[in-house]
Amino acid sequence: MDETVKPSEMIVHLGPQHPMMPGPFRLNAKLKGETVVDSEVDIGWIHKGIEKILENKTYLQGITIVDRICYLAAITNEEAYVGCVEKLAGIEVPERSQYIRVIVEELSRIQSHILGMGEYASFLGFVSMFMYTIRDREDLMSLIDSITGARITHSFLRFGGVKQDLPDNFANDVKYVFGNIRKAVDQYEELYATDRIYKARTVGIGVVDADTAKDLGVSGPPLRATGVAFDIRKDEPYLVYNDLDFKVCTHTDGDVYARIQVRLDEIRESMYIIEQCLDQIPSGPLFPEGTAYGRRTPIMRVPAGEVFHRVEDPRGEMGFYMVSDGSDKPYRVKVRGPVYPTLQTLPGLLKGVPVADIVAIAGSMDTCTSEVDR
Amino acid sequence: MMHLEDILINPLLRAILGLCLMGVVFGGACVVIWFERKLSADIQQRYGPMRVGPHGLLQLVADAIKLFTKEDIIPKNADKLLFVSAPILLLGSVFLMLVAMPFGAIIINGETYVIAATEMDISVLYIEAMSAISIIGIFMVAYSANNKYSVLGAFRNFARMIGYEVPLGICIVSVAIMAGSLNIVEIAEAQSPLWFAIKQPIGFAVFFIALMADMGRLPFDQNESEEELIAGVITEYSSMRFGYVFFAEYIHLILGSMLAVLLFLGGWNLPAALTSNTILGIILPTAFFLGKVVLVILAVIMVRWAIPRYRIDQVVDLSWKRLLPLALLNLGWVIALGLLGV
Amino acid sequence: MDSKSVMNAITSKFPDIHFVFRESDIRITGRVRAAKVVEVCQYLKEEVEFGHLCCEFGVDYPERNEIEVVYVIGSYEHPVILTMKAILPRDNPEIESVVPVYWNANWYERETHELFGVQYLNHPDLRPLVLTEELYGEWPLRKDYEGFPNKTARNLV
Repeated sequence: MDETVKPSEMIVHLGPQHPMMPGPFRLNAKLKGETVVDSEVDIGWIHKGIEKILENKTYLQGITIVDRICYLAAITNEEAYVGCVEKLAGIEVPERSQYIRVIVEELSRIQSHILGMGEYASFLGFVSMFMYTIRDREDLMSLIDSITGARITHSFLRFGGVKQDLPDNFANDVKYVFGNIRKAVDQYEELYATDRIYKARTVGIGVVDADTAKDLGVSGPPLRATGVAFDIRKDEPYLVYNDLDFKVCTHTDGDVYARIQVRLDEIRESMYIIEQCLDQIPSGPLFPEGTAYGRRTPIMRVPAGEVFHRVEDPRGEMGFYMVSDGSDKPYRVKVRGPVYPTLQTLPGLLKGVPVADIVAIAGSMDTCTSEVDR
Repeated sequence: MMHLEDILINPLLRAILGLCLMGVVFGGACVVIWFERKLSADIQQRYGPMRVGPHGLLQLVADAIKLFTKEDIIPKNADKLLFVSAPILLLGSVFLMLVAMPFGAIIINGETYVIAATEMDISVLYIEAMSAISIIGIFMVAYSANNKYSVLGAFRNFARMIGYEVPLGICIVSVAIMAGSLNIVEIAEAQSPLWFAIKQPIGFAVFFIALMADMGRLPFDQNESEEELIAGVITEYSSMRFGYVFFAEYIHLILGSMLAVLLFLGGWNLPAALTSNTILGIILPTAFFLGKVVLVILAVIMVRWAIPRYRIDQVVDLSWKRLLPLALLNLGWVIALGLLGV
Repeated sequence: MDSKSVMNAITSKFPDIHFVFRESDIRITGRVRAAKVVEVCQYLKEEVEFGHLCCEFGVDYPERNEIEVVYVIGSYEHPVILTMKAILPRDNPEIESVVPVYWNANWYERETHELFGVQYLNHPDLRPLVLTEELYGEWPLRKDYEGFPNKTARNLV
């Protein structure tokens, strides 16, 4: 961005510490009155060097570290990492473990979308909606807590299976919680659809059409809101998504309102997926029989090779590229965060937009800065 | 033996009455702040302050102690004189409004004695003018703080105030036409059989919206919208200077609601049968009036927590393109009613 | 289109790129010469529908004295993922930037540059992205990085 200002312009730093965005990143905006003329995104305030750290930890130690790449939807990070190692080492995951993995991942997706919607409402000044979503999210966190033992950063997956089985009475808990969540999601949709001020702030704002989105490399709900039905669970199914029946939620408008609608629809689809899983789940072992893989396999050597595994994170397409040289630590791990390309597109979207819409547009991309910086 | 009239006309006693009313309004602001916190917590399904005092009643005392003991930071490049005096101006404009505002009435033997610090012939005009002085205060804040966020907040403030003073003024004029006087006491008493809110409903709706914008409450609080501008105009204020501005906003809320009740919702008028008794005549009108004020405050607070926030150009749009024509329509309606002799 | 037709389409135009299958039949890997990267990417994007750059990064091999720049290219229409590697000498790694073809390669290349030292020619804006300015020039993700623990955020900032 050009730092020179003409007489009627002003540079404002929506700085690393801001009540606006989750996670620290800086947006330098050059304003002329209330319109943004040019802007620039600075990241790097939460760079932890995870890729270098993973080169010095064994594969099992890496699971806890990978959790913390994006703490809002931790289980999909683990799934991508564990999936890479399983592909390299040729480990077959038993069916029961696959179903449990799908259940936890979809629960994580629901809570991440609810939180994203609520945070977005608070950016617009709709604080009461934020409180309602937090209240509804608590039930989900208790569910996740009862399975994995932690609300976020679960460290739940192991190579070849999961850490522990579903608790007793899980299906009844799920039925009770989902009854509440369905009512809540209907309530949110009605609130959003009938609120004039909300619609005035979101309809027609930050419009991206399908070709531009594909050109810019966007993925996840912002891409599906423009009409492109790109979902890794359908295009390249991993785990048991082949046996489950769900649809990819899309919308055609491509504006902020459509992105929030896509997230609302995905919550419903995820609930449907979990109910199917609970019907179809077979009983069986959690880890593959006759192998050394189990709950406690601390040191394992993975055969040399390279692999790229990608999963559908609530925010887009998350991928891990792992290079292994046959020892007990990875040689190189590359983390491809889902929001990395989406955040790049922000300066282009913010040209000519009033200041108040910066928050509306940037918040609708649902960024988690921690996974941008790693 | 002094007659009641002599007591009321003596300027010294009026001044003491004014000071008492200032104290009352400060206490009222404390109660309204507590009320807002509890009400917003109820809307959001949480408890609100519960620990400090029974049900959080002493929370404001704790906050005030915190504000007093904080370090008062004045930025290095700030214009010291303006920075220090701007909150005083903001608070002062609100107290100037209070001078002419009646807080109730005492009806003894059919004679109404108004509880107000002064009685002027043009009190409505005076009250409006005093509430508009706060714009200068905001300008002083923005200019002296040497901060880009304050400047942005101040621009939005100007746009909002200019836009909403006009419909507000037109509604007040239509009320004054219907009552035949600018004296707020006479306007309140002219609503004896029928409230003005029923005689000019459009005027009431426009006045209510313009009043919320004038007070800077959501959905019109762009000048202090947290998400875009940190804290907007008052970003650089800490400790009790922030407390001044905060208090000034809540006192403005109380006085604005009183204005709404006096102009449109009937003031303290009660059927004559109820006020014939002396004891009831002393208590009832004031209680009735304050009850209505509480209801209006409740409505304003609930609206704030229930809806999101407009963008500034939509706010200006609303005032010039929608409220102004409606206010003019209302003015025409009032003139027509007056010509028809209703 | 499945991977076989993709492979045919590419080898027909660039016969010196040799492809192998990876862990499943929709993953193919190939090596490309550093000078031809932009041309190959252009062909992939326009003719073979590979419009989605998943990521681009570097891998350091000090014992072979090489830095590999890996391009992982996917598509919105078919599930084939193509991994292309360009081998660069470790002393002077220079390669053409693919930003004219894939717009979102911008930040990937900035990051590879500051972590590995790969020089991208014709990049619109090659600046450090996630590291601080004091660490620029250290190329931290190389295997022989000596700066830890004396040069961390705690000591620098």
